[in-house]
Amino acid sequence: MAEIVPAQYQPALPLEKLIIPDGAAGAGDRMELDVLIVGAGPAGLACAIELARLAKADGAELNIGVLEKAEALGEHSLSGAVVNPRAFRELFPDVKDEDFPFRQTVTRESVYLLTQRGKFRLPTPPTMHNRSFYIASLCEIVRWLGAKAEELGVNVFTGFPAAQLLTRESTVAGVRTAPAGLDRQGNPTPGGTAPNDLVAKVTALAEGTRGLLAQAWCQWQHVPSENPQIFALGVKELWETKQTLDRVIHTLGWPLPKDAFGGSFVYPLEPNLIALGLVVGLDYRDAALDVHVLLQQFKHHPLMREFLAGGEMVEWGAKTIPEGGFYSLPQRRAGDGVVLLGDAAGFVDVPSLKGIHYAMQSGIYAGRAILQNLKNGTKLTEYDRLVNASYIARDLYRTRNMRLAFRDGFYLGGLQAGLMTLTGGRFPGGKYEMHADADVPRTLRFAPTRPSGVSKVDAVFKSGNSTRDSIPSHLIAAQDVSGDVARFYSHVCPAGVYEATENGLRINAPNCVDCKATDVLGPRWTPREGGSGPRYKRM
Amino acid sequence: MKIAVCIKRVPDSETRVKIAADGKSLDEAGVKFVLNPYDEFAVEEALRRKEQAGAGEVAVFCLGPAAAQETIRTALAMGADRGVLLSVDKIPADPLESAKVLAAELKSSSWDLILFGRMAIDDYNTQVGTLVAELLDLPCVSAVSHLDIEGAKGVAEREIEGGIEVVDFPLPAVLTTDKGLNEPRYPALKGIMAAKKKPLDIKPVQPGTGTLEIAALTPPPARKEGRIVGEGAGAVGELVRLLREEAKVL
Repeated sequence: MAEIVPAQYQPALPLEKLIIPDGAAGAGDRMELDVLIVGAGPAGLACAIELARLAKADGAELNIGVLEKAEALGEHSLSGAVVNPRAFRELFPDVKDEDFPFRQTVTRESVYLLTQRGKFRLPTPPTMHNRSFYIASLCEIVRWLGAKAEELGVNVFTGFPAAQLLTRESTVAGVRTAPAGLDRQGNPTPGGTAPNDLVAKVTALAEGTRGLLAQAWCQWQHVPSENPQIFALGVKELWETKQTLDRVIHTLGWPLPKDAFGGSFVYPLEPNLIALGLVVGLDYRDAALDVHVLLQQFKHHPLMREFLAGGEMVEWGAKTIPEGGFYSLPQRRAGDGVVLLGDAAGFVDVPSLKGIHYAMQSGIYAGRAILQNLKNGTKLTEYDRLVNASYIARDLYRTRNMRLAFRDGFYLGGLQAGLMTLTGGRFPGGKYEMHADADVPRTLRFAPTRPSGVSKVDAVFKSGNSTRDSIPSHLIAAQDVSGDVARFYSHVCPAGVYEATENGLRINAPNCVDCKATDVLGPRWTPREGGSGPRYKRM
Repeated sequence: MKIAVCIKRVPDSETRVKIAADGKSLDEAGVKFVLNPYDEFAVEEALRRKEQAGAGEVAVFCLGPAAAQETIRTALAMGADRGVLLSVDKIPADPLESAKVLAAELKSSSWDLILFGRMAIDDYNTQVGTLVAELLDLPCVSAVSHLDIEGAKGVAEREIEGGIEVVDFPLPAVLTTDKGLNEPRYPALKGIMAAKKKPLDIKPVQPGTGTLEIAALTPPPARKEGRIVGEGAGAVGELVRLLREEAKVL
């Protein structure tokens, strides 16, 4: 049986383009800041808020800038989400839980193992207990945090993607943004703007999952991790339903094949407003597996039909999740002039399905370390020390091998994960070795799947994506890939960016919703003109 | 060149509009608001005129709620010099009342040009600009898609059915801007920083109630589901018959 090893067709990270000396030709405006934060997500904004507040208390005035590639705050943020409010409480000790941007408290939860038509209720694994946590939309959280940051005088620049790291020897000096208004061939147009250089004493990379500059920095500075980072792809829909749902649901099993890791989530933001999605580890083996199509099948399960009948899908989105956990963290997340936060560093705990509070907590620690650095010259490695001594490292260490055990398949993985839970992570000791997702061979099964439910074209429309059609392609694919590989990409991408045609691979770049799935397994993603991509509202 | 630009805060065109519980207004929860796209042409044109003249002022006026300060900041980030928010809880349904408030404010100063977008994409009324011109007793050209100005004289082009209308006018004048007049600039980082420090006056105003009242809002009727008539050449006859007899489009 034919096999595809995705890494064989993946272009190398274009390091020579991503790391450039400060002062390199080609920039328009230049702006000097004290601290530059790349990415207005929970990590970046928590960092900005903590830093601005500490500086103010200290009587210092810091010029803090946050760059965000989405056109408006929150529009590229997507999560389940059930939120552990711990980091919120630490960042806002004077705000009551009910004043945080959360929707409902989790009061009931169910975990099911699904077969095509049946369901078996499972006891909720201890790592997955969510009672007293909050169901929330990450878009709404980000908008709320952004407003708090702006109240503190932080400059939030939306619509400006960071495209290149500016460096002086081994020090990160800032970033260069992506140009805007290029024509399809990549030439500047009269209305467009040249890239801007933003330089700062410290740059915090909080780009989110599969952060481009965070990856580039680790490669450039030879910062290894014990295991390669691995990813999952989550595809999510928001439904206004006629039926009400009073609890959080997670499912395992169908429609995933047994050699894939993942499951579904169903969270009611309101009794009639339901977030649902499917998350699948990108180390799956079937080259025809398509997470978006699987989600469409999942909605036909009797468990879901009941809730969705008569309802309407109002929003759609997709995003990857760094799943490697403890052993995939870069050995250090701080260097000269730079720190790595949140998803960009890999602070996600898969067994509890949580990342938002780790992201925010890492931002809080980064804010503290950066202030010490600016004030006393304390090295930024203080940030690593704070993280390593915190519950972020402790939680991730306790579950260090759980996700990794599932490389052996669903049942064997589940059994091992159960024993790990019982022994607080001590069973079986040691470290499970992992391959990078792109190194896992795929088998060509290509059984034709009948498309049903939401097409990828409709999905992209429901993501709010209205990227200019005349934009140059921001995706770097290998030349002349075979039809089999092109079809594999077409299944990996939930947004219909890749099409296998008679003439080979066709790339519909404006469709891209920046989920980064094919960046993990195939063509590389690079930032494009600010404001491109999805416009999530309540994802 | 002294130019006033009147702008409006409107729901983003991508917004899924929901009617509020009262049945006559929009549910604003979760709605993203933007600078009216036609007003962007007006701001851009004002900036270019000022840049060409090498001197002058571009002042932005907005009738709207407190949140419209953001909309004004967007215009300031593009390059406008100062902003005035004519602050109301609710924009009146009657365009004449909006026009009266704006005209009263604009009257206190003299302008070479007063620019509006051709229409706001929320109510599609296409009225406030021309009403303001009438109230200020100034010449007005609406839906301008090309503009030349020489000294105190202007020539504007309007796209009309089947052709282009060319209009001469003296300055000062009120113009409303249409698509095609220019390509609005992308906001620059420096502009965004500078906008935070530019003056923005907030003046509470009390528009009259006017003679119009919104009785009810209803969404357009849902589109009927499509139908597959058949496949291949054999279905053409039936399709033509249905188009002629049922859809009555042939």
